[in-house]
Amino acid sequence: MTRDAIQDLIVEIIADIDEDADFDDLNPDKPLRDQLDLDSMDFLDIVMELRKRHQLQIPEEDYPKLATLNSCADYLEPLLKDA
Amino acid sequence: MKVPLVIIGGGLSGLAAAIRCARYSPGVLLLEKHHRPGGLNSYYHRRSYLLETGLHAITNFAPEEAKQAPLNKLLRQLKLRRKNLEIYPQTTSEIHFPGPTSLLFSNDFDTLKSSIEDSFPGSRKAFSELVTALDKQTPFTPAPFRSAKKFILRYLRDEILAQMLLCPLMYYGSSVENDMDLSQFVIMFRSLYQEGMFRPAGTIKDFLDMLCAHLDSLGGTIRCSCGVRKILVKGDKAWGVELDSGEIVECDYILSTAGLSETIEMTGKEDKYRHEMRLGFFESIFLLDGTSCTTLPRDRTIIFFNRKMPFNYGRPDTAVDPASGVLCLPGNFQGRPEQKVLEVRMTHLANYQYWQQLHNDPPAYAEAKEQTAQTSLAVAEDYIGPLKRHITFQDSFTPQTIRKFTSKKQGAIYGCPTKVKDGTIGLANVFIAGTDQGFMGIVGSMLSGVSIVNQHILPRL
Repeated sequence: MTRDAIQDLIVEIIADIDEDADFDDLNPDKPLRDQLDLDSMDFLDIVMELRKRHQLQIPEEDYPKLATLNSCADYLEPLLKDA
Repeated sequence: MKVPLVIIGGGLSGLAAAIRCARYSPGVLLLEKHHRPGGLNSYYHRRSYLLETGLHAITNFAPEEAKQAPLNKLLRQLKLRRKNLEIYPQTTSEIHFPGPTSLLFSNDFDTLKSSIEDSFPGSRKAFSELVTALDKQTPFTPAPFRSAKKFILRYLRDEILAQMLLCPLMYYGSSVENDMDLSQFVIMFRSLYQEGMFRPAGTIKDFLDMLCAHLDSLGGTIRCSCGVRKILVKGDKAWGVELDSGEIVECDYILSTAGLSETIEMTGKEDKYRHEMRLGFFESIFLLDGTSCTTLPRDRTIIFFNRKMPFNYGRPDTAVDPASGVLCLPGNFQGRPEQKVLEVRMTHLANYQYWQQLHNDPPAYAEAKEQTAQTSLAVAEDYIGPLKRHITFQDSFTPQTIRKFTSKKQGAIYGCPTKVKDGTIGLANVFIAGTDQGFMGIVGSMLSGVSIVNQHILPRL
């Protein structure tokens, strides 16, 4: 999966969690949580969806690496290289 | 049979936990002892009426756009669309104490603020300081018991105002006599006064049916009439449950919503909570002929009343304490279609032991129920006018009734005074959620199920 595809995947997952989320002015280097008004419970859904869709087991200590769109791409690129 | 997760108890916290898990894991099994789900918030049929248990109103009202409000958070976690949930907000509720003292509150916090300004003009500033102080609290961080009463009185010098503010919050969720844990108070203050109350369209049956259908669509299973006799433990882990039928279900995780003491008892371990004092309630439902009864107020949803100072939220020595209670008019929610049958519900604190002992003598039990309902009816008439000649049907439930249908010890709807906020009971894979985890109300108990699953089970399943 390319970096762009990974970012699209994250956006798609969030759109599924919150159908009213507004992605127009999303800054890929700023925390998703602050920009989209997500809390830790919503955030767990991103992790669980990645597991459900791509069988990825993300350990709890790695959750902070999913903070921004770019950091998601950094972290997930090697894990999803064959996806 | 082996499943990844067994949930004990099909009340609202158990249903929410099951839905949450079933979204990400196959094979979730929910076991309910009664023949239908709902727990404390269920229903039964008498004549042609469907009667609700528990539900007066749901706290934590929130508009659709308040994304971080508990109600909307809960719906997102369960993947239920807010747009599909029709809700009716309360009109106005009242706190009525002896004399001319009365406070009003609604789903607009300003109603309470201006009501305090009118009735307690000297306390306007103190109340606003109290609200600021409460806003700064972080009630979800586990902390030992702190007295809410002492905290409030540091700000409000007026003892009567303090008692009035405590009254609804105690009646809607305190398992402690004459006080509340501060964290609990903060949560309830927000959910009742700052957010407000509503009820879903239809009856609690429709709400439960919707949750059960959702769980089913996600691949989860509910088995009713299926009590758990034992949690089977080896070392510091459980490996399964034994049902009342003798059947054994093996599992990796157990989430119990049966209550703290009730769950520990199933594990066979020593239950140090069993002697804690529990509060019971007596509730009567009066159904009235809507064509003849035209005097029922339309502008009050719930009246929390106290007739004797000081307000005593404690276990009475007699059958019930009619000096205080909750009067609910379930027809008075905005947008709820006109009903031909009007409903009045009255709740008082009750003595479990009294009702439990009397239960062995059915005629005496029935008579005591009838007499108590009459006493309660007379109190209700003081607030909302004549009712008696319009009654077409009435029924009451005692703490013994609640014990029988929900297995809650002493019929205590708010559970054990000790709350286990992290949901652990000393076994590596057994957790508790619901009332004894410390979140109250329907939204609270459902969020309890969700958050214990999120914290302890989902990341490891």
